[in-house]
Amino acid sequence: MLGNTIYKVPKGKLLKIHLDYEEKAHIIQGIEITGDFFAYPEDSIEYLEKALLHTPLKEEVLRKTITEFVSSQGVEFIGLTAEDLTQGILRCIM
Amino acid sequence: MTEQWRLLHTGTHTAAANMAIDRAILVAHSRGKVPPTVRFYQWRPSAISIGYFQSLEAEVNLEKCRRLGVDYVRRITGGGAVFHEDELTYSIVVSEDHPSIPKNIMESYGVICGAIIRGLKNLEIESVYHPINDILVNGKKISGNAQTRKEKTVLQHGTIIMDVDVDKMFSVLKVPNEKIKDKLISDVKERVTSLQHVCEEPTSFEDVARALKRGFEEQFEVTLKEDGLTLEEKELSDTFERECFSVDAWNYRR
Repeated sequence: MLGNTIYKVPKGKLLKIHLDYEEKAHIIQGIEITGDFFAYPEDSIEYLEKALLHTPLKEEVLRKTITEFVSSQGVEFIGLTAEDLTQGILRCIM
Repeated sequence: MTEQWRLLHTGTHTAAANMAIDRAILVAHSRGKVPPTVRFYQWRPSAISIGYFQSLEAEVNLEKCRRLGVDYVRRITGGGAVFHEDELTYSIVVSEDHPSIPKNIMESYGVICGAIIRGLKNLEIESVYHPINDILVNGKKISGNAQTRKEKTVLQHGTIIMDVDVDKMFSVLKVPNEKIKDKLISDVKERVTSLQHVCEEPTSFEDVARALKRGFEEQFEVTLKEDGLTLEEKELSDTFERECFSVDAWNYRR
């Protein structure tokens, strides 16, 4: 099952997410996070996409996965937050 | 004694070559081979650069680009798609540890944009920094900027719009919703300005470059001495152009 969202981050940038998920179990099978935001280091977004594979599409699980990834990898977002990413992903399945 | 930095006038290049040169300077500076560097350049043919995280096919009308001979390239910096035509593009490469560069990324955007603002002031133009990465004149955007940090080195590049053809720009950029395209174009015409619009006298590329050179010198309290790319930088740049910026695997990676 595919889902897409274009999410204008409040006071931030434009987040465009493409999601491929298992419909019954609601588990992420593929995700591409694109947009005009900034993230340092840049390649952390690719690792985050990998870290999100097989993650259940549940708000608290997504938030925890993303927040822990960001703090453990020392990622810095500009024009975007971990919470925006969580909400952006959830919008793909609405 | 005032610290001396290097000034590069690299002239006009293709999109891939321009992005390769910026990356080559970053690598050479991180290896300690060249001083902190400010570069001024232009694009020919006209080109779109997209941000590191953007999808090329989602942002760019590739068919239209081919027809109009407009080039495209993915940057190593984040941010949005930019149509480069009549503009001065700058880049600055300086170590993250330089005392003039704030550790905090947002603050460093402000400091580097401060050099552009001083430069515009030398052209008698009052502008302000508009976070995250824009500079505005009379509330309208005249400059967009994007920064990356690699190997403990800061690279920020940005554009100072000299003139803009918004209709052409939107023929090569895709809009999220075709139905609101006309509205979007009129909004952008309202939100974007250019030196052509704000200068009383005609202003040439050389005028802008001179004013910005002084702007960087004032902001960082340095002297900019004009020089060329080193042999090492030229070789690095050729490699990056060939193996990265002109390769589909890079430009279409998202």
